[in-house]
Amino acid sequence: MSNKAARNLFIFGSLFFFVIFLALTFDTMGKLDKRAPVITEEVNAGKMVWHKYDCIGCHTILGNGSYFAPELMKITEKKPKGYLKQFLIDPKSTNARATMPKLGITSEEADKLLAFLDWTSKIDTNGWPPKPILATAAGVGGKELSEGQRLYQSLGCSGCHIINGIGGTTGPELTYIGSKRNRDWLFGHFKDPDKFVPKSAMPKVEAADADIEKLTEYMLSLK
Amino acid sequence: MSIKYESQKIAEYFYTFAVVLFLVQVLVGIIAAAQFIWPDFFILNFNTIRTLHINALVVWILVGLMGATYYVVSEESETELWNLPLVKLQFWATVVAITAVVLGYIWMGLQPQANSPIMGITPLNEGREYIEAPRWADVLIVISVLLFLFINFMTMLKTKKWTGIQGTLIGGLVFLALMYLPGMFYAKSMVKDQFWWWWVVHLWVEGAWEVIAGALLAFMLMKVVGAKREVVEKWMYIEVGFVMFTGILGTGHHYYWIGTPGYWLWVGGIFSSLEPVPLLLMVWDAFRTTRESRNVTNKAGLYYTVAHAIFNFVGAGLWGIIHTLPQVNKWTHGTQITTAHGHLAFYGAYVLLVMSMIYITLPAIRGVKEFNASRAFQSFWWMTISMVFIVLTITGAGMVQVYMERLMGLDYVAIKANYNLWFWIFRAIFGVGFLVGVMIFVIDFFKLGKKPMPSVSAAPEKA
Repeated sequence: MSNKAARNLFIFGSLFFFVIFLALTFDTMGKLDKRAPVITEEVNAGKMVWHKYDCIGCHTILGNGSYFAPELMKITEKKPKGYLKQFLIDPKSTNARATMPKLGITSEEADKLLAFLDWTSKIDTNGWPPKPILATAAGVGGKELSEGQRLYQSLGCSGCHIINGIGGTTGPELTYIGSKRNRDWLFGHFKDPDKFVPKSAMPKVEAADADIEKLTEYMLSLK
Repeated sequence: MSIKYESQKIAEYFYTFAVVLFLVQVLVGIIAAAQFIWPDFFILNFNTIRTLHINALVVWILVGLMGATYYVVSEESETELWNLPLVKLQFWATVVAITAVVLGYIWMGLQPQANSPIMGITPLNEGREYIEAPRWADVLIVISVLLFLFINFMTMLKTKKWTGIQGTLIGGLVFLALMYLPGMFYAKSMVKDQFWWWWVVHLWVEGAWEVIAGALLAFMLMKVVGAKREVVEKWMYIEVGFVMFTGILGTGHHYYWIGTPGYWLWVGGIFSSLEPVPLLLMVWDAFRTTRESRNVTNKAGLYYTVAHAIFNFVGAGLWGIIHTLPQVNKWTHGTQITTAHGHLAFYGAYVLLVMSMIYITLPAIRGVKEFNASRAFQSFWWMTISMVFIVLTITGAGMVQVYMERLMGLDYVAIKANYNLWFWIFRAIFGVGFLVGVMIFVIDFFKLGKKPMPSVSAAPEKA
């Protein structure tokens, strides 16, 4: 290859890929607003508070930022808002082990910030962060096993089905079953799988109606 | 070794500022490392220290590259720089602006309320990683870079010698300047905010900067071992071409989980997996070109050039590819694994790049024929061994974090304070080792060629 050919390959190749990148960017920009809730004035004001205190200097959000303090994108799902507000205003008096300094965040600013973090918790992020596999399977992480979860284990469902990466691979995965099937389908299917899935390999669930109800409840929570 | 054009001496101004900022960067880095162990250590909080750490890095690399560019453009154009007083003005204006920004960060660190928005704009710190510099500073930076590009362009216009090296170098710098703009407006949506933010961050370090690195690598190979321009430039085009072909769409590996459509998982996964290819080409190029040249005068320059190529590949390439696929990144995104990659990539790709350029051009600027390279080697090994261990400790911390936070569901706060503690302690110790290396380098930088040295090329005399 001559030098001139190599140079042209570099220049025109780069332009080619940049044009594709621009097209994808254009397409993405049209789709972003549909993948997150509407941005209210309060959410935007909360974002300004986020920038004002340079929160990203210690925390990550959507996984980007510093790795000194916890990820905050879904924090409002994990902790009660009353606690979070009190913490923001005066971290160390709320939680003695806190390392976060008192920055002078006002009550009003805390409300706005939490509105913003509420918004980020509802962004469609292609399933990130993933549910912690082992915690979900064992029911740890501060949560007791529900009755449905206990039935799922005692009936041996995980011999064939996967939830959050744990279980057998014979039957369909159930990690997101709650968003695929409704209550009637699940309940009826447990009582008589063949009726819903012709030639189903799944046995009828031999349990009282009340227990099947609880199992259905658990399935519906898997979203 | 001596310079051909008087105005090439201006590079030393930029190098000096860069070296001072390098020292500052590593000093605050050690404070940050200590804060991982004792969060209340030091009067400034972690966020301010980290802002200083990463901003000092970006700025010293940029300033170093500016100095190197003035040197290269004058050499390649075979003429004095166009309007030297303007170059000096550009230099001093940059120093003043950077100092003002740093003072602003410290002020805000001591007094968070000082950053209250004025007409919707935070005056001291934009609160966005890497581009924390406030809007007024953005404008000054753009003016400085435009002036810098203009001076180089006018210099090239004087003789119209459009060599491939300087063309690629200036091309990379123009791309760099353009890619600063997407970070200069406010987006109400955090998703859009991060989307454009990655244009700046990714297209700088995995686009424009790598193109500049490719051009400078070609220049250095020519200078150190006298490689043929014809051959060196051809491989340069192929390398930087591949950098762009993979790097531009490789931006997609930052668009997996920030609220962007699912097709980015494919685009980012495929193209970013190919990003190490051009870096491997550069390693091969460096080895192939220098293999037969054992008798070079500038041993330090040769050493740093080859080391730059190797660690660019290891840090940016290998440590990047291990977590670039969406299937892996889903678990590692936002953990210390990213920190580990960041450290080795910046060290290999850019710290060693600017240092190689300094070791190749500074002796010529100071007019020394030969210099004692022992300090250069010492500082290299202190820094490199320390950095490798810093990266290994952070990688270990990241693996523990991924397992405990992402798989077991523990809070990061507990992991950081308990299970990762020893990693932080070792990291801080190796950080001090790195500082030793930097101090040796700084001493070498200021002393190089200042004292006449006994001839090293002559056979050693028996005592």
